[in-house]
Amino acid sequence: MPEITVERLSKRYGETLAVDDLSFSVDAGRVTGFLGPNGSGKSTTMRALLGLIRPSSGRALVLGRPFHELSNPLQTVGASLDASDVHPGRTGRSHLRTLSAAAGLPNSRVDEVLDMTELTPARDRRVKGYSMGMRQRLALAAALLGDPKILMLDEPANGLDPQGMRWLRDILVALAAEGRAVLISSHVLSEVEQTVDSVVVIGAGRLVMQGSLQDLIAGDQRPALVRSPRRDELRALLEAAGATATIDGRSDRMFVHHSSLEDIGLLAAEHGIPVFELTRALSTLEDRFLELTGEGGNVR
Amino acid sequence: MRILRSEWLKLVSVPTAWILLGTMVLIEALAAGLVTGLVDVKELQGRDPASLLIGTPLSTVLMFTLGALLATNEYRHGTANQTFVITPRREQVIAAKLAVGLVVGIVAALLYITVNAGLALSILSNRGVPVDGDLAVNIYSGVGTGIVLGCLFGVALGALLRNQVLTIVVGLVLFLIRGVVALFIGTSVGKFFPGEALLALQGTPTTEELLSQTNAGLVLAGTCLVLAIAGMAVTRYREIT
Repeated sequence: MPEITVERLSKRYGETLAVDDLSFSVDAGRVTGFLGPNGSGKSTTMRALLGLIRPSSGRALVLGRPFHELSNPLQTVGASLDASDVHPGRTGRSHLRTLSAAAGLPNSRVDEVLDMTELTPARDRRVKGYSMGMRQRLALAAALLGDPKILMLDEPANGLDPQGMRWLRDILVALAAEGRAVLISSHVLSEVEQTVDSVVVIGAGRLVMQGSLQDLIAGDQRPALVRSPRRDELRALLEAAGATATIDGRSDRMFVHHSSLEDIGLLAAEHGIPVFELTRALSTLEDRFLELTGEGGNVR
Repeated sequence: MRILRSEWLKLVSVPTAWILLGTMVLIEALAAGLVTGLVDVKELQGRDPASLLIGTPLSTVLMFTLGALLATNEYRHGTANQTFVITPRREQVIAAKLAVGLVVGIVAALLYITVNAGLALSILSNRGVPVDGDLAVNIYSGVGTGIVLGCLFGVALGALLRNQVLTIVVGLVLFLIRGVVALFIGTSVGKFFPGEALLALQGTPTTEELLSQTNAGLVLAGTCLVLAIAGMAVTRYREIT
């Protein structure tokens, strides 16, 4: 059974359909990216999973049950919906203590998660003095309090510097490796590209695709990248064979469309043309995402 | 018990709670000390003794504000998300907030009584102005109960309305513009409004037609109860967005 199951979920606010017949699932042991432009329904879906809003139709289940039926919510799901959800007058430590007390956890657990998120030196400072990156760490610390099986983080990389991004990536991958299901949403695709194992892409509240990161990036439309000292000669041969080639700024490189890697290699060998590099050009997650959701999305 | 502890920690971990309590003690001390210590003895002897002990309505207002903050801070600062994820049975959270409001109200009432009795009664005694013991007990129990109910009123109204500014404005209107309400509706109905009931509960000397102290206490407690039930029901079904 998947850790998270969303079945034909719809949520309507008046005239606005925020989530539209959305279905997907999230398995344990993986970091799943929940991707979509701003306003595509990611946060609404997460709120439905956490029982904070009621679906208009469909179901949002955690371990096969609605959230409110879980006996130990904090030990089952650690969630962070907004890093700013903290009273600015509390210290980081007192904020976590209010949460751990409600879940019946000992104060020692607060100190543990402060250590894990490298916030111990700042634990007695008021949150209003925290940077956005520190608030993100505090939100993750709160989510980790119950040592949960599932982590659900809404835009956890917002406001993190490159060092913080690497730290977040490492900790999320490590948490997933321990067997947890990790669902992270983002509209900043480069943030999650190196972190996620699988993706759920939504646009305008609807599922666009679910699959592995490779599924998302893969596609026969990607051109072949060819490097050869006799590039122009090879280009002429390829075009004569029906392929199209575009030349970029470098003198020995071109991108070849409408031809397989095997055909390009054989043609070069037949004519004794040396080839230094022959590979599929890497399409970025962002390229693919824009293809799937349309250029109109608010994507950075 | 877990939720109660969490709610208590939420209250005591922010400076606002301490600032409001401290302000209340300071204002009560100033009011009690200045009036009883500086006003001419003959004038004091001519006054209704009750007016010398009641203190200022600000104590009730401040404790109402503290109760309102206890309920509405969750929404203002977004912590309601985590609170209701950890405790999906949201009515338990509101019940815990009411319990904390009750404890804080009692503490505030005891502080008021301590400060007022310590200053006003001792100064009046030293200056030879007699105060009837039964009257003092009556006033202190009335004002103390008013402070406790004011705090509970704030929690309950905040749970119902959610918006911090709206809660405080509505509460202040209900408590402070009492005369206007009574004027337009008439004292026969107006006396049941929270502000009028508070006056009666505190034993405030007035020419207005007021409820008896006991009935006023029951009216205020009943209002708090109705608001608390409504607040729990609304919170249970409210969407946290």
